[in-house]
Amino acid sequence: MDFNGLSIEQAPPISAPLRFFVTAPLFGILAGVIFLFGSSDILINRYSMDVIVAVHLITIGFFGFVMLGALTQMLPVLAGANIFKVKSVASLSHAMLSGGIVSMAYGLLMSSSMFIWLAMLLLGSGFLMLILSMLYAIKSVEHFTASIKGMFVSLVFAFFIVLMGIYLLYGYGSDSITRIHYIVANIHSVWAIFGFAGILIIGVAFQVLPMFYVAPRFKQFCKRRVVYLITFGLVIWMFLNLYFEEYALYAKLWIVTFFWAFATTVWIKFNKRKRPISDVTVWYWRLASISLTFGSFLWVFDEFFNHHYIVMVGVLIGGGFILGIMLGMIYKIVPFLVWFHLNGMGYMSIPTMNEMMNKSISRIQFLLFVFSLLGFIASYYTEFFLVPSSIAFILSMVLLEYNILLALKIYVQTRKKAPDFDMSAFNME
Amino acid sequence: MSNIKEYLINDHRGCDDIFAKMEDKASASLVDAKKLTEDFIYSMERHFQREERVMFPEFESKTGMLNGPTEMMRQEHAQMRNLMSQMLIAIDNSDKDKFFGLSETLMILLQQHNMKEEQMLYTMAQQHLNADSQRIVEMMEALVVE
Repeated sequence: MDFNGLSIEQAPPISAPLRFFVTAPLFGILAGVIFLFGSSDILINRYSMDVIVAVHLITIGFFGFVMLGALTQMLPVLAGANIFKVKSVASLSHAMLSGGIVSMAYGLLMSSSMFIWLAMLLLGSGFLMLILSMLYAIKSVEHFTASIKGMFVSLVFAFFIVLMGIYLLYGYGSDSITRIHYIVANIHSVWAIFGFAGILIIGVAFQVLPMFYVAPRFKQFCKRRVVYLITFGLVIWMFLNLYFEEYALYAKLWIVTFFWAFATTVWIKFNKRKRPISDVTVWYWRLASISLTFGSFLWVFDEFFNHHYIVMVGVLIGGGFILGIMLGMIYKIVPFLVWFHLNGMGYMSIPTMNEMMNKSISRIQFLLFVFSLLGFIASYYTEFFLVPSSIAFILSMVLLEYNILLALKIYVQTRKKAPDFDMSAFNME
Repeated sequence: MSNIKEYLINDHRGCDDIFAKMEDKASASLVDAKKLTEDFIYSMERHFQREERVMFPEFESKTGMLNGPTEMMRQEHAQMRNLMSQMLIAIDNSDKDKFFGLSETLMILLQQHNMKEEQMLYTMAQQHLNADSQRIVEMMEALVVE
């Protein structure tokens, strides 16, 4: 039997995931600033530059960073899939992606072709390096669980949406926006939301809900089939969208059915969980279920209203569902990583996970976030809400960053002291 | 049940259930949760010993992997034992925040530990020790906690 693919000594260095988590809220803040000072059609026209830039600060800068950062930790731990030279891959791709997203924002807002070219290069190579090295790591996994399948499929979607993204940037860089551009943009966004983020969240939920909340396990049917059924729906949707647009609605209904079922299942599983503790992470899962349910139905409904509600769909699914779950996960993962690494180095008398971040601030952060979501939805009807909701969003990101830095501070300060036990004898390397 | 993997996975689920009951009780009254906490620690200790005293040595002698995955699992057992002993102290000090901080930390450490075992180590163990499965499960079942 080949043991090479297997390592139980898996946790990657803390810097690999943590650098992504620390940076993510900063891009959230930037996105908020654009909402605040952007043009007033920001919540109506999905193709205005302000919207494209703000949305990508969140989707690349926040979703992308948090999900890929979490994967550098989860792939080795959940799957035994070790990413080759994870520390270098993480730090290099982090630098390229950070530079890339800033160049993209500047290039698109200032119509600077040079910065758009730079963004293409940095985002393209940063993403592809990270995605391909993760896919390569998964190749060596012997026992494919439902979660690992979800991660694998979602990374394949990530690969395609990055290629499409590069093509779209090329369109802006060379100032050649054709009809195809909008078709690709539509596929890019739907695959990114449902294929990359959606499938990844479902895959991770199979593992995380029973684990962290002692909720009932998902049925075998869900674990075995749902990811493939959604993938099938997304591929069919793409073809219909390209060649038989009038039938694309059927594929939408297919996709939405599974996501709505997922949202309902999550809600029920939380009701039936054996672990009664209710913290901010549970609130976030609840918020995600509700937002996903409304968002999915609105996405179908929108088809009959000439896509008037598409930005609202984005707020519900992108904000309430995806961002909500990312935020909830950060509150679990960051304190655990700090605790786990310090404890593993022999520091015994350290704060517990609950003491790493300020709980009251987490609650306020949650409330501000919910307020901003509701405000963004209301802004569709009256512009008045745009300013207060943008400010609430910015503040919620500032508080999140503060909380992450609190945990980081504990890590840095503890490392300056000598450990309670010398663990070097246990070093497995 | 003579399948090592199923037997030990079942043991994990049993510990999870007592853990949930313990937290439930503790959120109402910390003092009243002492008995359940002790039950939980006992179940965990029994599980650890089933591995450390029965399954791991069998696995190690069969595969020759002495400093491999089993050693890493032992280290994590030590981390968990340390957290559990602190939980009892927190109950004695009536420090509810500390207790839940420890239980939360333990929960996540435990779950990621279980995942590694269930998805990798147990699968390997079952493959290597398949012929002796019945005997090993009986030994684990009969184990008296030290």
